[in-house]
Amino acid sequence: MKRFLLSTIALASTLTISTAMAAETDPVRIAVLMYGNRAEFVQLMEQYGREHPAVVSGQAKLTYYDGRYDASVQNDQGQMAINTLHDAIIVNPMDYEANIDIVTNANDAGIPVIVTNARLNTDQMTSEVVSDDVEGGYLEAKAVLGQLECAGNVVIIEGPKGGSGEIQRGQGNEKAIAECPEGAVAVLERQTANWSRAEALDLMQNWLSSHPDQIDGVIAQNDEMALGAIEAIRAAGLEVNDFAIAGIDGVTDALRAVKAGEMTSVLQDARGQIQGSIDVALRAVLGESYEPQSIIWDQYAGDLDWADGQSARYDIPWTVVTEDNVDDLLADRQ
Amino acid sequence: MSGTTPIAKPTFSLQKYGIVLAFLGLCALVSLVCQIKVMQGVWPVNVFLTLNNLMLILHQISVNGVLAVGMTFVVISAGIDLSVGSVLAFSGMVAASFATRYTGVTVWSDTYMVLAPVTAALLGGALCGAVNGWIISRFRIQAFIATLGMLLAARGMTMAVTGGNPISALSPDFRWFGTGRLFGVVPVPVIILILVFAVAWVILNKTVFGRYVYAVGGNEKSARTSGINTRAVLMWVYVLAGFLSGLAGIILTAKTGSAQTAAGTSYELDAIAAVVIGGASLAGGVGRLTGTFFGALIIGVMNNGLDILGVESFYQLIIKGALIVIAVIIDSRRMSP
Repeated sequence: MKRFLLSTIALASTLTISTAMAAETDPVRIAVLMYGNRAEFVQLMEQYGREHPAVVSGQAKLTYYDGRYDASVQNDQGQMAINTLHDAIIVNPMDYEANIDIVTNANDAGIPVIVTNARLNTDQMTSEVVSDDVEGGYLEAKAVLGQLECAGNVVIIEGPKGGSGEIQRGQGNEKAIAECPEGAVAVLERQTANWSRAEALDLMQNWLSSHPDQIDGVIAQNDEMALGAIEAIRAAGLEVNDFAIAGIDGVTDALRAVKAGEMTSVLQDARGQIQGSIDVALRAVLGESYEPQSIIWDQYAGDLDWADGQSARYDIPWTVVTEDNVDDLLADRQ
Repeated sequence: MSGTTPIAKPTFSLQKYGIVLAFLGLCALVSLVCQIKVMQGVWPVNVFLTLNNLMLILHQISVNGVLAVGMTFVVISAGIDLSVGSVLAFSGMVAASFATRYTGVTVWSDTYMVLAPVTAALLGGALCGAVNGWIISRFRIQAFIATLGMLLAARGMTMAVTGGNPISALSPDFRWFGTGRLFGVVPVPVIILILVFAVAWVILNKTVFGRYVYAVGGNEKSARTSGINTRAVLMWVYVLAGFLSGLAGIILTAKTGSAQTAAGTSYELDAIAAVVIGGASLAGGVGRLTGTFFGALIIGVMNNGLDILGVESFYQLIIKGALIVIAVIIDSRRMSP
């Protein structure tokens, strides 16, 4: 009996030592909770995440979770990530309110949690690495109104009603319109197409019916819907070039449309958001000695300050994509 | 009383044309509101009643209409197919993977760029349908469950085809199926829609197979005892539904110019709505394609009309929900006086 006890203790201590030693060399395990993986933008984030130097070198290991567009599924996955002993969580949340649990639970478990891409209505997270949607909405509306020289009729195709994207990009749209002389720009219609190209196609076709020869500009709150509007204009036998059109995100199709001179896109930097998040997560796990490895800190030098990974919020800048800079961005997608 | 009372005839015609009247009533309502706006000086003409807008409505219902044809067969056979939206997305993705010009392969001819995607999509759709039909007829699994499985599996396959990315930059020849126009007026999807309805109408009403579908849906047991191979009938019903989902996938992909992994999400509900508004009974054995056609038209006119009138999206959903239920209530009262 005594011998058994002794050997158990010996075994247990060996195990402890070996796990402790393994921890030294083990990669930092980061759980990345995506709200859903059907959007191209999320695919891009995942791809750029895998290309982060620390992931490539094996210093960090990412586990992606697909939240299946369901806030409660995502909360469960947050708990799962904690239970499976991840060192940090990066979350791209489905819902502004419903996913706050993920932050709360991570804090209870004592692991860093970084919010990226979308927002959460809390300030308890380690850090946010996001792009300001109000600014994005402002920039795209500015592009349309600039092309129209602040005179004419526009329609606004909105994201899903009540989502933070729709609300904040909408605020940006309004801000830009308000900078034009009063009454110079009329918003003929505003309606949601739920980020969907097919829905925006139908919606724009209906508007072209109800406002024949009246629509001058299309402000779509994402690229997919701008592309749907372009298809609608074409299907109606009209000239795409007679319309000022803009969208947000910089998805590949939109970049091609920019190159064809059909629209303006405002690039939301998927690489900046995910790679920035990874650097901040690694700094939180590994401590002061960690130096950021992503190229984005050099790329945005002056606009984006690393601040030793301690900022509560990192604003990844938007890039307005025009025919001048589209080639470089397209080359990056191949 | 014998069944040949003089009032039998008008009741019969109302039964047959009630859905047409409902459709005309809805059109009259929308154009009335539009006409009021014309009188207020909002529009120079009634924009709802232009030839362009009517073509547009047909264009917009083409995808749902094609799905609803398959769904009509399924519902008459006392089944349901929840997988049509996912199968549409899968077929569309398969089609796009053959029709895209960004695969790096440049030796493919223009003809190949049309034939290959169309064949692959129709085959892919029919195969998904065959799996549904096999599971339902062979293992006697409820259609709801079997097709729910396919709803998930086909969505997964859609993403697996490309690792979750959309496929775009499709060949212009392929895109003709969505954006082309015959004689410069009639959109190609509308032609496809009408052809599909015509052929399906003949199959359902003029062939033995069509009569068997009604028989299986009315009472499967007595259909079997009277010598009908009910398994084969069910099998072909789901193959047809899958095949038409593939066709709808081709139209949608060609229309939007891109195959998206989220395409067709919840389209099964619109297709079922069209069939049910058209007078089919989810209990099986009852339904007709003309009804489905007008059911799809009613949904299309609602979507188009409410957008044209600038109705806020919240109220659009409420109005659509109410109209679907009202249409079915009217229908059920008509059927059981």
